[in-house]
Amino acid sequence: MNLWVIADHTLREAVRRRVVLAAAVVIGGFLALYAVGVWFGYRDISTDPDLTMSMRRVIVGFMLQGGMWSLNFVASLLAIFLAVGSISGEIDQGTMHAVAARPVRRAHIVLGKFLGNLMLLTVFIGVSTAIMIAVVSIITGQYAERAWTAPFAMLFAAAILLALTIAGSTRLGTLANGVVVFTLYAVALVGGVIEQIGSFLDNPVTFDIGIATSVLLPTRALWDLAGAQLAQQSASTTGMTGGPFSSLNPPSGWMLLVAAVYLVLALAYAIRGFQRRDI
Amino acid sequence: MDQAAIRATGLRKSFGDTHAVRGIDLDVPRGEVFGFLGPNGAGKSTVVKIILGLVQAGAGEVTVLGHPAGSLAARRQIGFLPETFRFHQWMHASEFLDFHGRLAGLDRDTRGKRVIEMLELVGLSHRRRDRLATFSKGMHQRIGLAQALLAEPPLVVLDEPTSALDPIGRRDVRDIIRDLRATGTTVFLNSHLLSEVEQVCDQVAIINRGEIVAAGDLRELLAAREVELRLGEGAEAALRAAGLEPVSAQLADGRYILTAAGDEDIARITAHLAGAGVAIYEVQVRSNSLEDLFVDLADATDQ
Repeated sequence: MNLWVIADHTLREAVRRRVVLAAAVVIGGFLALYAVGVWFGYRDISTDPDLTMSMRRVIVGFMLQGGMWSLNFVASLLAIFLAVGSISGEIDQGTMHAVAARPVRRAHIVLGKFLGNLMLLTVFIGVSTAIMIAVVSIITGQYAERAWTAPFAMLFAAAILLALTIAGSTRLGTLANGVVVFTLYAVALVGGVIEQIGSFLDNPVTFDIGIATSVLLPTRALWDLAGAQLAQQSASTTGMTGGPFSSLNPPSGWMLLVAAVYLVLALAYAIRGFQRRDI
Repeated sequence: MDQAAIRATGLRKSFGDTHAVRGIDLDVPRGEVFGFLGPNGAGKSTVVKIILGLVQAGAGEVTVLGHPAGSLAARRQIGFLPETFRFHQWMHASEFLDFHGRLAGLDRDTRGKRVIEMLELVGLSHRRRDRLATFSKGMHQRIGLAQALLAEPPLVVLDEPTSALDPIGRRDVRDIIRDLRATGTTVFLNSHLLSEVEQVCDQVAIINRGEIVAAGDLRELLAAREVELRLGEGAEAALRAAGLEPVSAQLADGRYILTAAGDEDIARITAHLAGAGVAIYEVQVRSNSLEDLFVDLADATDQ
């Protein structure tokens, strides 16, 4: 089926244009640096007589959260960069003409590009988070039991960004699309902080504004879900959580449903946009 | 079975306030080489893109070998070389053709065979493992042609297929087009190179400002000639009596320029003048080239 031909082509393109190599080199360097940081950090806290066992666990939880937050941020940027010119860029360059004139449905071109890039992001998130969880577990001897669920939430967020960016690419030029999607992403990111402040001040309006940004783009809410899983043990033992890498209020199950609907609508919008577009 | 390879009726397309195509009717017979000509901005590319389903028509109907233009069934019948001939630069030549073979629905064995044949046909066998990024413009156009012919489609749409080629490359493409005609393939050729069109096309349509200004058999269109005559006394009355309006007013020295539909028409005019007792001192027949026809029609619609 031509959907898989396009997905395969998209994946090959990312590999051959050295996107994968560049991402692997940068993330490899980051993970090495992170491992060194965790090793020295844990050496200090494990020998500090003033820290209780549970406080050490919280600090290790923060270390893992911080590292995973960085991976999530890079995965989000990768999703945007991979898809930002996926349709409009190919039309502008003229490479789309010969492809779209073939007996291939435009919906399959959109979904093929989505799936190809999603496969790449799956490998990226899967490998990098597995290494990070392993690094923290080996160095500290601590393992957040539900840490393995975090990569799924991160992949879900990356899939949403991917679908949204492809949808933008069917209607906007590459630069304009990048500006719009990245601005939305930044708004959702800041919205999470606003939500925390609203919750801390017990101010419902501020809190609702934060929630509204999650509906605008649910990537931050999905990160909160991932972060909550990573810090679960520290939160349950000390009640300490929050800060820039996690939320005081992990999203409810409804947010997962909102995110799923968001993903489907973004893909439908992308398909509709491309079907209507003159090439 | 619909005898037309491409049939367009009342085709219209506007982009905002710009009317790119204004009610075009087109009939491209099967198995012929059809030239589609027109000055820049005449609407040629828009019509080609509507045929391929890349652009949606604003109004009217287009069928490709009996299927609605843009449908999967229609696109299965077409091989297309785009005017821009820009392809994925990171791919190797044979990988690029294999990718298009997969999109066209060819099985693995057929693809393997056809990729080798097509690279041979366009003279790029020795570059099959090279990335397209290392190809010259002419090589891009050649590999684009190979891509268009890969699935042996019954209709081939070539948009400016020789714009980047040297004279030898152009001759090769002309030979390929003639070979396609010999195998019954319909070729829809969009070209600015009128001499090329003149050499290979059976039928042509000339488009200007979104309208077809001339269409038909190329030889019939070119048969229309201008005749310059130097005549004696009474010529004007004799011409008027025969219903012949000179193209230009009487020139100096009793010269008139008339339009004749062909050789028979020239014989008829001279016989009539001789019969009316008008002395004929000189007859000069000016054959129409496609270029003359093209320029005349473009000028006429621009005025």
